[in-house]
Amino acid sequence: MSSEPFQNVILLPQTNQLLGLYTIIRDQNTRRPDFIFYADRIIRLLVEEGLNHLPVTPKIVETSTNQKFDGVSFLGKICGVSIVRAGESMEQGLRECCRSVRIGKIVIQRDEETALPKLFYEKLPEDIADRYVFLLDPMLATGGSAAMAIEVLIKRGVKPERIFFLNLICSQEGIDLFHARFPEVKIVTGAIDSGLDENRYLVPGLGDFGDRYYCI
Amino acid sequence: MVGTGAFISSFEHKSDEVHQVGNKEAQSPKYIPPWTTPYIIGIGGTSGSGKTSVAAKITASINTPWTVLISLDNFYNPLSAEDHELAVQNKFDFDQPDAVDLDLAYECIKSLKEGKKTSIPVYSFNNHNRVPGKTISVYGSSVIVVEGIYALYHAPLLELMDLKIFVDVDLDVCLARRLSRDIVSRGRDLEGCIQQWEQFVKPNAERYVRPTMKNADAIIPSMGSIVVATQTVINHIKSRLQLKSRRHLEELSDLGHVRELEPLSKMTNLCQLEPTSQVVALKTILLDKYTSRDDFVFYFDRIATILVSRALDDISTSFMKRIITPTGQEVTLPSVDFDKVTSISIVRSGDCFMRSLKKTVPSMSIGKVLIQSDSHTGEPQLHCEFLPPHIEDYEQVLLVEAQIISGAAVIMAIQVLLDHGVSLKKMKVIVYLATEIGIRRITDAFNDAIQIYACEVVPTDALGVDHCRWARSRFVDSRYFGCD
Repeated sequence: MSSEPFQNVILLPQTNQLLGLYTIIRDQNTRRPDFIFYADRIIRLLVEEGLNHLPVTPKIVETSTNQKFDGVSFLGKICGVSIVRAGESMEQGLRECCRSVRIGKIVIQRDEETALPKLFYEKLPEDIADRYVFLLDPMLATGGSAAMAIEVLIKRGVKPERIFFLNLICSQEGIDLFHARFPEVKIVTGAIDSGLDENRYLVPGLGDFGDRYYCI
Repeated sequence: MVGTGAFISSFEHKSDEVHQVGNKEAQSPKYIPPWTTPYIIGIGGTSGSGKTSVAAKITASINTPWTVLISLDNFYNPLSAEDHELAVQNKFDFDQPDAVDLDLAYECIKSLKEGKKTSIPVYSFNNHNRVPGKTISVYGSSVIVVEGIYALYHAPLLELMDLKIFVDVDLDVCLARRLSRDIVSRGRDLEGCIQQWEQFVKPNAERYVRPTMKNADAIIPSMGSIVVATQTVINHIKSRLQLKSRRHLEELSDLGHVRELEPLSKMTNLCQLEPTSQVVALKTILLDKYTSRDDFVFYFDRIATILVSRALDDISTSFMKRIITPTGQEVTLPSVDFDKVTSISIVRSGDCFMRSLKKTVPSMSIGKVLIQSDSHTGEPQLHCEFLPPHIEDYEQVLLVEAQIISGAAVIMAIQVLLDHGVSLKKMKVIVYLATEIGIRRITDAFNDAIQIYACEVVPTDALGVDHCRWARSRFVDSRYFGCD
């Protein structure tokens, strides 16, 4: 992987298992139940990885044999923000690790005329400025809508170094854009694809994630 | 913030090591399970002498599920059409030694003695033939009782036996017993029975059966007080079995002590979960006695899912697959066949992994083995095993267990899998919490050729001091299932 210079990218270890999971979800012949299951598995790995970068605080607990154990505990204070619609598919994976996590939503659509992303709607936790934010969107291609979402978050007072952008596949182009504009935002991903096709889809990619997860 | 490069190296792949480990399999394992040293008792005697009731008394008094009673009746030779006709007319000699396939009986008992899963034929007395496609499968027995008129006849079979018993009784009594049995429970007529007795049973008994008495270690006179004699034999058997289980325990405790110890971190067959902040935080929650059961189950499932997934990271990418993506790209990518993964849970504590296994591979078939420690001696005992059919065809067999303390149950379970044709390099032990001694015993028993994935291994040094006592108490499954 050529992600070496990008200190803002956290790439999942490219294990045999992970490569196998990606092969399943990239295959156009994979049927929806399998696509959902295996995409969910990757999402779970991304969430676990993202959580590993959050701070913890020392905590001493008492064990069932009445001894003290020096452990650590979560600091909490996180929230998820999904970019509607495809990003919502990642909420379940986040909930499976953090049951009562708050989840905000952002709707960004591409303007048919200008082909530029346009913000339609946002609903975010009030105290989001104090929180670590997991921004959820499965694909980072050109990075246009994700960048807009991050601007929304920063405008609401979230510190850029507290934003983790979780996605399944990203492009070199998207990483470059983030590196230039939001160097402190961390991208947690499982695969970096070689480029974009003329329709701005990732290559090889997996098609339209939202369609495959929800519709086809 | 961890850079990408540093991150990957900290999770370094272990597949190379797995290969090295696999090569060590050629050495024979050091663990000898109780079923490869079964105690074999032969009980012979003339027809109607009371062998069956002596055998029943013995098995009842041993009273363990791993005792199996095999009747030589199962090994009668199938009859040809003419012989079958003779048999219907009571003119076939079932009491001569050739009527029974003692060579097959020998093969079966020998295979049991080697600890293998063995199929015993089923004989139909109506058709005078083996019931096609039907066999009784026997596995894991550490006491085998072989009963039949020619149990003490066949020299190689005698070689296999640890104790040979002849039940001696007057032939008149035998006749009386035979008549009542054949007429009442087998629905034969009196005349036929008498004819058979005179023509076959009695001459054979005198000619072939009674002389086998000289092969016996003990003779039970079934006319006098059968109770005293049988009890004496039973006492003897019990003392031998105690000795056998003591040896088994000693052997188990010897494992793990024999070698120059290399540090846990250098053991190539052991992979401990990276102690990331999340893993440590989850461990803390699970150790806290004030954690609610709701939380305990939730967080155990979470860490178990991480662990199961970690164990599958090294799964082999069996082939390259040419796929077309929905955007029309044709690419060749490594492919993994998750259907080739199965798992075996050691009841009850392994059942804590049920949900995380299903979460990792949805269609996974899950087998179970029940191994319990004897409440007096602590000896692990195999009660039953339910394994997926054709388990030897799977590429990965995950053996799951919440806690390893002595390691005995896992050693036994691995042996069960080996006996069913699963090679060590296909097995992976997945355990949440283990003691160092348990891990060393398992490793040692199978010459380092078994891969172990643990969330945490508590070193022996830490166990010695007071604060890690929890690693020696079985708290995980009690809390997960909410009952001790």
